[in-house]
Amino acid sequence: MNKLELSRALDIAEKIRKKEIDEGEVYDSYVKKIEKVNPSLNIFVDVYPGKERLQGDSPLRGVPIAVKDNICVEGKKITCASRILKSHIAVYDATVIKRIKDNGLAVIGTTNMDEFAFGSSTENSCYGPAKNPWNKDYVVGGSSGGSAAAVAARLVPMALGSDTGGSIRQPASLCGVVGFKPTYGRVSRYGLVAFGSSLDQIGPITTNFCDCAYLLNIICGFDERDSTSVKIGAPDFTRSLDDNIRDIKIGIPKEYFGEGLDGEVDSAIKKTIDFYKEKGAEVKEISLPHTEYAVATYYIIASSEASSNLQRFDGVRYGLRTGSAKDLKSLYLDSRKEGLGGEAKRRIFLGTHSLSSGYYDAYYLKALKSRRLIKNDFDRAFEKVDAILTPTSPTPAFKIGEKTDDPLLMYLSDIYTISVNLAGLPAVSFPCAFTKGNLPIGAQLIGREFQEDTLIKLGYAFQESTDYHKRIPELDL
Amino acid sequence: MNNFDTVIGLEVHTQLKTDSKIFCSCSTQFESPPNTNICPVCCGYPGVLPVFNRKVLSLAIRVSLALNCKINRSIYFERKNYFYPDLPKNYQISQYKLPLGEDGYIELPSGKKVGIERVHMEEDAGKLVHRGDCSLVDFNRTGLPLLEIVSRPDIESPQQAYEYLKYLKLILQYIDASDCDMEKGSLRCDANISLKPAGAGELGTKVELKNMNSFKGVRTALEFEVRRQRKCIERGDKIFQETRLWDVDKLKTSIMRSKEEAHDYRYFPEPDLLDFRVSDDIIEDEKDSLVELPQKKKKRFVEKHGFSEKEADIFVTNPWLADFFEQTLCFHGKCKDVANWLLGPFLEQVNNLEDKFNSVKISPENFSKIIRYFVERKINNIGAKKILALSIVTNEDVDKIIEREKLAQISGTTELEKFAEEVMEENPKPVKQYREGKVQAVMFLVGQIMRKTKGKANPGLAKEILERRLKQ
Repeated sequence: MNKLELSRALDIAEKIRKKEIDEGEVYDSYVKKIEKVNPSLNIFVDVYPGKERLQGDSPLRGVPIAVKDNICVEGKKITCASRILKSHIAVYDATVIKRIKDNGLAVIGTTNMDEFAFGSSTENSCYGPAKNPWNKDYVVGGSSGGSAAAVAARLVPMALGSDTGGSIRQPASLCGVVGFKPTYGRVSRYGLVAFGSSLDQIGPITTNFCDCAYLLNIICGFDERDSTSVKIGAPDFTRSLDDNIRDIKIGIPKEYFGEGLDGEVDSAIKKTIDFYKEKGAEVKEISLPHTEYAVATYYIIASSEASSNLQRFDGVRYGLRTGSAKDLKSLYLDSRKEGLGGEAKRRIFLGTHSLSSGYYDAYYLKALKSRRLIKNDFDRAFEKVDAILTPTSPTPAFKIGEKTDDPLLMYLSDIYTISVNLAGLPAVSFPCAFTKGNLPIGAQLIGREFQEDTLIKLGYAFQESTDYHKRIPELDL
Repeated sequence: MNNFDTVIGLEVHTQLKTDSKIFCSCSTQFESPPNTNICPVCCGYPGVLPVFNRKVLSLAIRVSLALNCKINRSIYFERKNYFYPDLPKNYQISQYKLPLGEDGYIELPSGKKVGIERVHMEEDAGKLVHRGDCSLVDFNRTGLPLLEIVSRPDIESPQQAYEYLKYLKLILQYIDASDCDMEKGSLRCDANISLKPAGAGELGTKVELKNMNSFKGVRTALEFEVRRQRKCIERGDKIFQETRLWDVDKLKTSIMRSKEEAHDYRYFPEPDLLDFRVSDDIIEDEKDSLVELPQKKKKRFVEKHGFSEKEADIFVTNPWLADFFEQTLCFHGKCKDVANWLLGPFLEQVNNLEDKFNSVKISPENFSKIIRYFVERKINNIGAKKILALSIVTNEDVDKIIEREKLAQISGTTELEKFAEEVMEENPKPVKQYREGKVQAVMFLVGQIMRKTKGKANPGLAKEILERRLKQ
């Protein structure tokens, strides 16, 4: 097992293919490790003992994969870490799950998250907070915190998360793994329980860029069940696993290095910039002038969409239904009151208000305009550069409970990741350093629409010369 | 008593005729067992996404064109948010700010022009069934494609509203866009009505009426509301902007909700569906497929076939009959013969059938034989009607029926001469009367020949023979 932990998913699959190890044994050993570690870290919410027969083949055949608890796996619980869905069984496979199964990967279980992906710490979960494998007192980030922590703790070689405003990248940064958010429309959202429909995107969480490229190859592509998925064919991302990055132009947005940025993070990113200079990339300062509006814009658009998306959780057809309903109105009110957590309610209020007649123009419509300006900033920047390098999160992992009483402070954890979703761009977070306290620090690379390959190339080049991604937390159980 | 102008606008919801629902591939089959035409998408399960059925767009464009609307090329859907158990997502995907069709009109048979404000696409909700103290939901109807057709407040009376609905239904059926069956819920109508002092420019406060389940119901409800509002105004009371429900048993409207209680639907663009542009090709295709609309058909039936306006209306309101007429004309070219038989005995017999036109099986060719044989005197009137009765729901070959039922007329002179001789011998009294100058007495003798031949004699020929013999 120890050897497996040091391996990439790709290497595990190769050993299985060469019959050096048995895929059933691989699966069982991961299940065993999850069962051992999970009681203290609370990373998984459901584990499927006993591997199902795998169909299909691919370079990742036989690799166990964990799935965020908001992606439907037929016949399995799907709860979005919410009481309101605690008994719900998915009646169909999400398109990404179908693709994963068709490529012979083994879905091993579902991971903890912030309720309906509302949060940046995986503390807003009906299962309680997940704990950071690097230090149990710290958060894992969120909302795909369970998936990021599972990969970081080597409880599983790879995982899927979803990213609406940084929900793959920020926890990847706080846990020291590679978290990739593809271009909006690259991966089908069919079967992902919607949060902000115009922002949501499923993506891979892995320990390294090589596995990331292979997993992207499997999950990307047009799906007729998702009208927002694009018909552009996805390239073979593994062809970008090449560390020649000479003459790639990298932009550094000056707005991302201001107030609120932790000193250790700041210097880690500067060292990463130096690395790229040394490798022959061309680095230049750029400006994304509307950055300061991103958080406000995001919370209006995402919450508006969420307030509508979450209306279906009403106690009528599935999920929690209150036992105390006297009439239709109290059925709705009490089911939702009992079933939804505080942050979910806060965002529903915010979104409902933003869409209300009389407020629509001032909030929702204005946010749409501001979103356009933010997108224009990126368009202009990408006339000059091929990729943008920033910190993923202003701070390393913070302590559990530290920000739970201050939602605004919590929202600022996503200050560097949110604009990317508003603009629909691809971006990735990868570990680029560790703090003195041995917590990981992530760097974010942002690319042009549908140019994930540039990011893979840059990330791969970094990992070829460094070993941050090879560090494994010592689990203190 | 004051004079008031009545101002009415109608909102019609009609189900478009597609095989599958608007945002998923479930069947639109009516009368399926409850909750059998459903899937995770139309039931709003977590994680599902809508995919727009392009057939809906084609039909919606066809309707918009038939209603003389301007087509907006940029299409996007919006969410209309409200909680109700028949609405699984608790929002309805609809069009709001930019409907598919705008600024059209319908010209009623009376010549009155009614403006069409907008035509937009949306999904239907499910059906609630109340049983004792529990309520059940049937989602078969959820996601059926609907078209909302909103008229301008151009309608001036309940009767005109009735005419508008009948004519709109006719158009929708003509172009094969909808079955318009109110009983099956494939056509529903709400009305807005207000009164204003005669000739006044400013409109009065409007009241919305719901829950009418027939065209006549719409008319009766509007008539009630005109009286109610008139009394109200004459008493000096204020009309409140509100929604009222029509009670078909009590024949009155009662308040459902006031303006203050109106929903805030929080419309916003549906992020799960991308905007798209309507191509010229689709519009051209639909223009080409547009069949002759009622007004044009009427003109043609009057001018080409020589019908009166009233007769033409029979064909206009019944496109099936019009098609049947023109097809029969291909086999028997004399318009007058076909018209007489179709509007006479044929319609009479259809009206006696349980399923009316739905049970008619006779082919235009077979039908044309009855007409031709009658004109050629091969069969007489009684025989022809009998043949029609035997073939109308079976389409049995007319020649075979004539042979089997021995319905060919006796037109052989020798045979008839024999019957004439017999009849004159047996009835000396009318013979005498005729010879004394009472010429209509011959008809009694003709009747006697018909009786003896069990109706098979050619009555014209029988009369000729009798007259010749009586004059001898």
